[in-house]
Amino acid sequence: MRGQPPPEPVRLLSLEAEARVFLRLRATLIWETLRTMLTGSRLRLSLVVLLSGLFWGALYGLFVEAFAFLDALHANVISLLFNAFFSSLMVMLVFSTGILLYGGMYRSPEARLLLTLPVRAETIYAHKFREAMWFASWGFILLGSPMLVAYGVVREAAWPYFALVLPFMLAFVMIPAALGGIAGLVLVGWLPRLRLHAVSIAVGVACITALWLGWSLLTQSRADAMSAAWFERAFARLAITEQKLLPSWWLSSGLLEAGRTERNGQLSVAGSIEALKFLALLFANAMVLQLAAGWLARKAYRRGFSHLTGEVPARRRRRTGGLDRFLTGGERAAGPLRLLLVKDLRLFRRDIAQWSQFLIFFGLLGLYFFNLRSFNYHNAYASMIGFLNLAVVGLILSTFTTRFIYPMISLEGRRFWILGLLPVHRDQIVWSKFLFSFLGGLVPCAGLVLLSDSMLGLPHPLIVLHEYCCLLLCLGLSGIAVGLGAMMPELRESSPSKISSGFGGTLCLVLSSLLIMVVVTVAALPTHLFLLARTLGPTVIAEDGLLAWAGGIWGTVLSLTVVSTAGLAACLFPLRLGLVAFRRLEV
Amino acid sequence: MIEFDHVTRTYGPKTAVSDLTLAIPRGELFALLGPNGAGKTTSIKMLVGLLHPSRGSIRICGHDVVADPRGAHLHVGYVPDEPCLYDKLTGREFLWFIADMFGMPRHLAGNCIDREIECFELGEFADDLAESYSLGMKQRLVFAASLLHDPSVLVLDEPMVGLDPRSVRIVKDLLAARAREGMTVFMSTHTLAMAEEMADRVGIMVRGRLHFLGTVMELREQVALESTSLEQLYLELTTARGEER
Repeated sequence: MRGQPPPEPVRLLSLEAEARVFLRLRATLIWETLRTMLTGSRLRLSLVVLLSGLFWGALYGLFVEAFAFLDALHANVISLLFNAFFSSLMVMLVFSTGILLYGGMYRSPEARLLLTLPVRAETIYAHKFREAMWFASWGFILLGSPMLVAYGVVREAAWPYFALVLPFMLAFVMIPAALGGIAGLVLVGWLPRLRLHAVSIAVGVACITALWLGWSLLTQSRADAMSAAWFERAFARLAITEQKLLPSWWLSSGLLEAGRTERNGQLSVAGSIEALKFLALLFANAMVLQLAAGWLARKAYRRGFSHLTGEVPARRRRRTGGLDRFLTGGERAAGPLRLLLVKDLRLFRRDIAQWSQFLIFFGLLGLYFFNLRSFNYHNAYASMIGFLNLAVVGLILSTFTTRFIYPMISLEGRRFWILGLLPVHRDQIVWSKFLFSFLGGLVPCAGLVLLSDSMLGLPHPLIVLHEYCCLLLCLGLSGIAVGLGAMMPELRESSPSKISSGFGGTLCLVLSSLLIMVVVTVAALPTHLFLLARTLGPTVIAEDGLLAWAGGIWGTVLSLTVVSTAGLAACLFPLRLGLVAFRRLEV
Repeated sequence: MIEFDHVTRTYGPKTAVSDLTLAIPRGELFALLGPNGAGKTTSIKMLVGLLHPSRGSIRICGHDVVADPRGAHLHVGYVPDEPCLYDKLTGREFLWFIADMFGMPRHLAGNCIDREIECFELGEFADDLAESYSLGMKQRLVFAASLLHDPSVLVLDEPMVGLDPRSVRIVKDLLAARAREGMTVFMSTHTLAMAEEMADRVGIMVRGRLHFLGTVMELREQVALESTSLEQLYLELTTARGEER
């Protein structure tokens, strides 16, 4: 039986017309987002542009040095490096696009809206795919472009190389992104019950492989690290990434061909033609995969969405943890401050987004520190690396305090009717956030600094100094985040990411970075001057000069005074202002 | 206009909707009532194609919502229980997007958008970004979007949530007028007074089964409680059926 014709003013759109409507939608959304940022978040936008530029420039410089070094060492190394880099990136892009697409297509309110409109499933897929691909691959563009430009500059490549870099990157990212999309559609559409197991197994296998490769590379030899023989052995293990059926090989081969020049330094026409063939190969495969994904979306998207919507969420009972009992003091009645701390700790434990990021960042940092002994540093280098590691720990902590601690007061404000009716002084709410941040940050950060210093073999006084700086950083960063959060609460906003990306969040990140810079630089200066004086001797640094004084005992005392003042001021000033503002806050 | 044919939907071992058979003709205003967890939202999600029935079929204007979702959606306007908008679109831009999705000619779409903006009194904020809207403003905009293309069937899930009394009056008058013009309205609601005031027929679901289908008058006859309110009749029926289980 055929259905009734549609009412007079409406009609089904062609595929092209649907695509045009979504293109208009995307353009409007991007324009409005940019307009809002330009008018309302200028500081944030300027910082993002400035820091991205700095980051790009620093990476470019680093890659120029690296390629010059590698080029002199062994020409084939660059091909291996490209293959290893692009193949690992391909695996990451498959996962990240798949996960982002899953969220966008099956869990977002937008998908629920679009699925009730007369639009093709494959058009919705394409719309969400573009979004997921961009979010998954912008990091690759930011990280990959300075690397590829640096390669072209070092090899003195002709203009076609530079013109082809961006098309190559775009064609390449479409392939793993489409593979991630296809995997997601198949898992949700046909194997909904297996999806968690399948994803867990795949992620597990990828992690184990990556860990095995990393471990075997770092542990194979410590005596001749960074030597030509070391590189030969290391890259022999990465030869697996040079499979000719892998899109990463097509990409690296295409780029190497595009960068090829004649002996007289002129453009190599044959190389450019080969590069274009590889580019066409990448695009052709990307298009075929897009077609396959579109066909799958038509068959499986609505069905998969229905499967997921119909799933009964498992009821998860939670019991009081041992830590909770310890913090509340067991059977004895605990004070409000402790109870608030326990509540925040419970929320943190049950929010997978928070603790998983915490674990990943600090875990990776721990892995890096653990492998520091693989490299043989001299004393001066070891001291400098120790301070740089301290700065990195501080920077990672500052991203956490900005992203998770700064919005806490704002989010509490939305539930203020609960706390407002309890016999709790407002100051205690602010203090509980501060203690939660300080204690939560101090334990992993102090542990990581100790690990880093032990692996570097630093002397005990330096370890004590680093730990003291770490303590001051935890105090200061927590004070800044909680104080600013209490001074500028956004009570109407329920999304912590939106709160932290506003003006207050950006200011928090800037002040935190400044504090880290001041503490680490001032603390490192006397040590560095002391080591310099010891290494270079009195001929370079006069014994009675200012530099020698700065590297001596009084210089150290002055440095410690400045560091302590900066850390305590960063903690107490914002916290005090925040307490006053929060007391006066009208909800 | 709307046909549920032996529709069953299960969530794992739990049956949310059981063997629902229901036909709603053109121009009828139908209210689906029932306690929490009775299967009302599941029925509505199946009707708009977000959920597929485990068994049975659903047709809108003759189009099977699973086999021909686009054909069915062309006839439907849908107001969900939680309004979904694009934060970075203005109300007017959102209405244009919906009009484009339904393939409305530009000149006609412009007229319809102006009409709905006036009808739901959106003019004051139609050019502001939706991220600045209150819940009531969002709900009014979603109503406007759902009626933009003059659908044959309007599906409403708890439509009055977040609306102020004036907006509630506007919506009630509008629904009555559109139903008189031939639009079929299918709504789920907990507001019994509204169902009593507006619905041509009511259906009462309890634990996934349709336990009553008819007019409020017929319900009174069935429950044998003369001159009582719909609230009393509803409580009588749902409590009795709930206890039977």
